Amino acid sequence: MSHDIAHWLDDLLAEIEGIKVRRKSNRRVRVDVPADALPALLELLQGRAGYIHLSAISCVDWIDENEFELVYHVWSYDSHSLVSAHIRIAREPGVYLSVYDLYQPAAFFERDIHEMYGIHFEGSPNMEKFILTEWDGPPPMRKEFDSEAYINEHLNWQNYNPEWLQELIAEGGGVIIPPEEQRFSQKKVKKS
Amino acid sequence: MSSIKQIPVIQEKRTNPLARVFDDLVSFCRSRSLFLLHYCTGCGAIELPPAMTSRFDMERLGIQPMVSPRQADILLITGYVSIKTLKRVILTYEQMGSPKYVIGICSCTVNGGMYWQSYATAKKLDEYMPVDLYIAGCMPRPEAVIAGLQKLMDRINSGEANSWQDYYRNYDYYLGNQQKLFGETWQTPTDIITEAKHYNLLAEGTLGDHTKLLQQHQEPLEAHNMRLGHNLKEPLE
Repeated sequence: MSHDIAHWLDDLLAEIEGIKVRRKSNRRVRVDVPADALPALLELLQGRAGYIHLSAISCVDWIDENEFELVYHVWSYDSHSLVSAHIRIAREPGVYLSVYDLYQPAAFFERDIHEMYGIHFEGSPNMEKFILTEWDGPPPMRKEFDSEAYINEHLNWQNYNPEWLQELIAEGGGVIIPPEEQRFSQKKVKKS
Repeated sequence: MSSIKQIPVIQEKRTNPLARVFDDLVSFCRSRSLFLLHYCTGCGAIELPPAMTSRFDMERLGIQPMVSPRQADILLITGYVSIKTLKRVILTYEQMGSPKYVIGICSCTVNGGMYWQSYATAKKLDEYMPVDLYIAGCMPRPEAVIAGLQKLMDRINSGEANSWQDYYRNYDYYLGNQQKLFGETWQTPTDIITEAKHYNLLAEGTLGDHTKLLQQHQEPLEAHNMRLGHNLKEPLE
């Protein structure tokens, strides 16, 4: 039966304009939609196809293309299948519509994405700090935030290289990557 | 309500000639009755249940878990300390009664471990509080934890484990590192400088630029008004 629903879904999705459907498996569909068509798609999936559970909203920062990718994962308990709706929005100003009116758990995910990426969701009930309540830096998951430069500036680091480990390395054992090969910031210094 | 400053603190010089004998006895007894604070920060905490319970049984060494910081002797930092957690760890550490011992378990407390690149994790624990002992590993097995605790017991017994005094003697250094991370308005409810005077541990490093900065904006401590959800002056319904 679930097989039937899956193919019925394909027919349904094919009717929406500008949509690109890729069936990954019998239970997984990847859908790429224009950003303005997403609320309509979710409404259709929720109201007509039984995709009532929003599992997650994930975000990818494509800094080279100057875009954010938002992925809405919706699950149907009837057909036991997952639809992942991918949209791209402009990195600046990074504003998108909230889907809180369709799926209430979205408030949770949107607040998290707002904190980590700085995307503002219009209509989301709460855009306050969530986990990083004591963080006043830039949104840390954005690609332009250099975590390593931040820790080099704010925190000290010490090498852990005790004698017994040196003995092991001298015998050819132990797995150790020296910090100058491990730390990206120091690699850059080496190149130049 | 009387302020905390009005409570008299009596300090007496030690005159008993048997004090050293008692000291040895006390440190022997102290090393055989350690209470370990049940505050688990990171993933290393998962090694503690087997270390505490019947498999490896810490209690045969006289080490027991304790739920409140004021009654505990050992603060065990089990794993990565995020900057948010570090604030709570410092509050907990300052609440503990002296003598107190800090053990850093796992690589993360040494240098950040696998979170060396993370913006949210403190790297060197001994910058923020004196650490008696590190048990490196990711994660150390319960045997290693117990070996480390035994080493701490030996150090307590021989009177070497007094790094808690270092917190009072070099408070300016520790406070400076804390301020660097948490901002200049960082303040804990515990008045370390007064405590240092109480323990007779006021040294050169206790006061400095950072403690001056603390005293500039420090809000006076007030006794907490205990209430049962409503004002007791009003009659109970």
